[in-house]
Amino acid sequence: MISKDIDKNKERLIKEFNNTSDLVAYEFRTNSNLKIIISYLEGFIDKNTLDRDVLKPVITRLESYNDLKKIIFVSGIKEINTFEEIIEEIVSGSLILFIQGCKECFSIDLRHWEKRSIEEADSEAVVRGPKEGFIEDISTNKMLLRRKIRNPNLVFENYILGEQTETEISVAYIKNIVNEDVLDKVKKRVQDINTDSILESGYIESYIEDSPYNIVSTISNTQKPDIVAGKILEGRVAIFCDGTPHALIIPRLFIENIQVSEDYYSRIYIATFLRMLRFFALFLGILLPGLYVALQTFHQEMIPTVLLITMAGAREGVPLPSVLEALLMTVMLELIKESGVRLPKAVGSAVSIVGALVLGQAAVEGGIVSAPMVIVIAITAIAEFAVPALTEVMILYRLFLIVLGGFMGLYGITCGLVVIIIGAVSLDPFGIPYGYPIAPLDKTGLKDFIIRFPLWSMKKRPGYLVKKNRIRQRNVRKK
Amino acid sequence: MKKKSVLLIFILCLTLIITGCWNSRELNTLGIATVIGIDWEDEKILVTIEVINPRPVKAMLEAKPADLVLYVQGRGDTIFGALRNISLKFDRRIFVSQNKIFIFGEEFVKKGFINHIDVLQRDHESRETAYILVAKEKKATDIMGVHEAVEEILGMYMEDIIENKKFNPKGVDVNLSEYLKYYYDSGRQPILGVVDRKEKNAIKKADTHEGKKEYELVVEGCSIFNKEKLSGYLNGEETRALNFVRNEVKGGEIEFPTPVKNVDHYSTPTPSIKDSSSAINTPNRSKSVLEIIKSKTKSDVEIKNGKFILKTKVKMRGMLGDVSGDIDISNEETIKLIEESCSKQVKEEIENSIKKVQKNYKTDVFGFGTLVHRKYPKEWRRISSDWNNIFSQADVQVEVETNIIRTGLVNTSTNKIKGE
Repeated sequence: MISKDIDKNKERLIKEFNNTSDLVAYEFRTNSNLKIIISYLEGFIDKNTLDRDVLKPVITRLESYNDLKKIIFVSGIKEINTFEEIIEEIVSGSLILFIQGCKECFSIDLRHWEKRSIEEADSEAVVRGPKEGFIEDISTNKMLLRRKIRNPNLVFENYILGEQTETEISVAYIKNIVNEDVLDKVKKRVQDINTDSILESGYIESYIEDSPYNIVSTISNTQKPDIVAGKILEGRVAIFCDGTPHALIIPRLFIENIQVSEDYYSRIYIATFLRMLRFFALFLGILLPGLYVALQTFHQEMIPTVLLITMAGAREGVPLPSVLEALLMTVMLELIKESGVRLPKAVGSAVSIVGALVLGQAAVEGGIVSAPMVIVIAITAIAEFAVPALTEVMILYRLFLIVLGGFMGLYGITCGLVVIIIGAVSLDPFGIPYGYPIAPLDKTGLKDFIIRFPLWSMKKRPGYLVKKNRIRQRNVRKK
Repeated sequence: MKKKSVLLIFILCLTLIITGCWNSRELNTLGIATVIGIDWEDEKILVTIEVINPRPVKAMLEAKPADLVLYVQGRGDTIFGALRNISLKFDRRIFVSQNKIFIFGEEFVKKGFINHIDVLQRDHESRETAYILVAKEKKATDIMGVHEAVEEILGMYMEDIIENKKFNPKGVDVNLSEYLKYYYDSGRQPILGVVDRKEKNAIKKADTHEGKKEYELVVEGCSIFNKEKLSGYLNGEETRALNFVRNEVKGGEIEFPTPVKNVDHYSTPTPSIKDSSSAINTPNRSKSVLEIIKSKTKSDVEIKNGKFILKTKVKMRGMLGDVSGDIDISNEETIKLIEESCSKQVKEEIENSIKKVQKNYKTDVFGFGTLVHRKYPKEWRRISSDWNNIFSQADVQVEVETNIIRTGLVNTSTNKIKGE
């Protein structure tokens, strides 16, 4: 409870905040000689508004605390009377105003802080479609989503997580479409999180996901409001986290890795073709080096003779066994990628030049690796970028299959694939089978599988995900 | 749950000890064989192998054909032993899975080679789809080492030449498994392809050394067997006839004499050629060619009064590829004549071929025995051991039907002037 003695309140407040230097506690008197203290965290409030719409009327016109709401022109004013509330308001960016002799104080919402402007999402570039991406500020992100779905059915539920960080997170869903089972699980798991800090949505992901030891991720993240809108319209749940532009979408099924928002914006033929291409890239990215090693060291009889002669020629004088050669090149490729991402842009290009020259040309000419291996690894790298959602998974699977292929040939590759596939289809994140709509088979889902059917023909929302309100549209094109 | 996963891991471990191709071999430890030649030499088997000499692509483009392959030899009492003995003189392990061609020296074939080729069927690395050729009157080593094709590696271009059978059925493409199939078949005797080295008509290029003989390899005709023993050879035309009976003709061309007929009364008047008598008197000179598009053969056997009749019915569809002589192909009657002439030619070829085999070799390479087996199973049990003799006394009935469906781009022969 706050005291009537304004100085005591000030002392207590400063003590609660451990004397931190960014807490402002400004003391002044009004013209009517009332003692007033305002307190806020530096950089959290709009100083112009504070001076013009709060300080000026308070100093000139305030006579008793009852008048306060009549004289200041700010929308969010609350009367509060406990220190817990005061602290909560201050850390979330409000201004606290104490008036002498008053056993309540006022929280005035003047929140305003520096934030990045809305920019194109750099990791999810599109040719066609909205380019705007989320930013670090959660309220802006919510606004961006609300602009896509202007409908009272879109609901945000806020939670404060992290004992130390007190991060605001927000669960978003569409009331009349959302899968209630998924929503309940998400809410329950979010509420159960008991940790000291949430710095990025990845923290939440690791606390709430199913099968945390599986390589495959069952929660997707995106920077783009149109993607979030599309997903929650299919019954999924989104989680925004303050301080990061990456929103989480729950659950993530296998097919979502192949789907791209542009599939829905472009014409069906090219969309279908590109999806097939991505599937192909997925297989290449996972299998190619392993298969190459297996064929080269175990199954030379399966390679067409002319190709075999070329390959044999290229392997002459290469010191390493194929499996080590493949592992070395794969690791090198990841090394180049990793160093390219972390380095400042100016140095990054130098790395790629060195990488290209050293790995590509010098290694082959120097006889350290064979040219076909460089080609295989290069194809793999390109294939990997075609399915960005699965890049991390593909790297690990690839290494796994290279080792298996190098030691056990095609038999090893087959076993490895069985392990990979079992690992994937055994998932059912938040109760939705990961292999949907293939395993289990579902007709409505198949319309948006490898072949993307025209939007007007997808009359129902995908089974399994949406339980109620399944009809998406009724207007069918006239024949 | 724990028990289950332990069991699963145990089962997975068990699979590691199952047999299979578990042994990894790097490409640069292998000598890739493309041709295997087998000869008798001093009561030993001599195996000659063409091995790829792998070079980096750049060097390969600059290399002379002779540098691209190596020939290694091994001797032994068995093919397997001879192959293994190669490792005493050659650094790479011979890898036979990519082998395209087996070349058997004539001596090897004449002595009956079936005892020796078990390894080719038994060894897991050996390919049963490799073609077998018999070096006619020569040793396999005489054949290997001749480079006269665009493709530099003997195994590669020999395979292509053998597969050219689909354009020119004057050879046969019998591979190891097919040979064995015929060998085990009591109603059919095996045949094998033939390769011969012939001297080339020297073409003088600026950089060719004078006096050096140039050779080329010819895959024409076939060798016919009585079980494992070589009986003799058939030439190109006879082989084509054999292929007709075996229903193995996929394409190819038939040369036949152009029919001669007065066709004055037809709507398109045939020009009177002044010295037309010469065309009539020397019919051999004007020949026409039918290119086969599709051919189907139905063979049958029949027993009449205790005598076997071998029947073959060939149905061909084709297009006129070449016409010469005094003939107008723009009307149907003439086409009919041409068809008849072509049929006659093929019929004669087939009859001659069967008769030659009946008379000279007495071995049923046509597979009529199989038909007897199917149609008269009871009789077959009685006669099967003596079938080759019965075959060589049987009567032959050949029917050929030609159907010309296309006549090409022009309707008059090039040696004629239309309307003249």
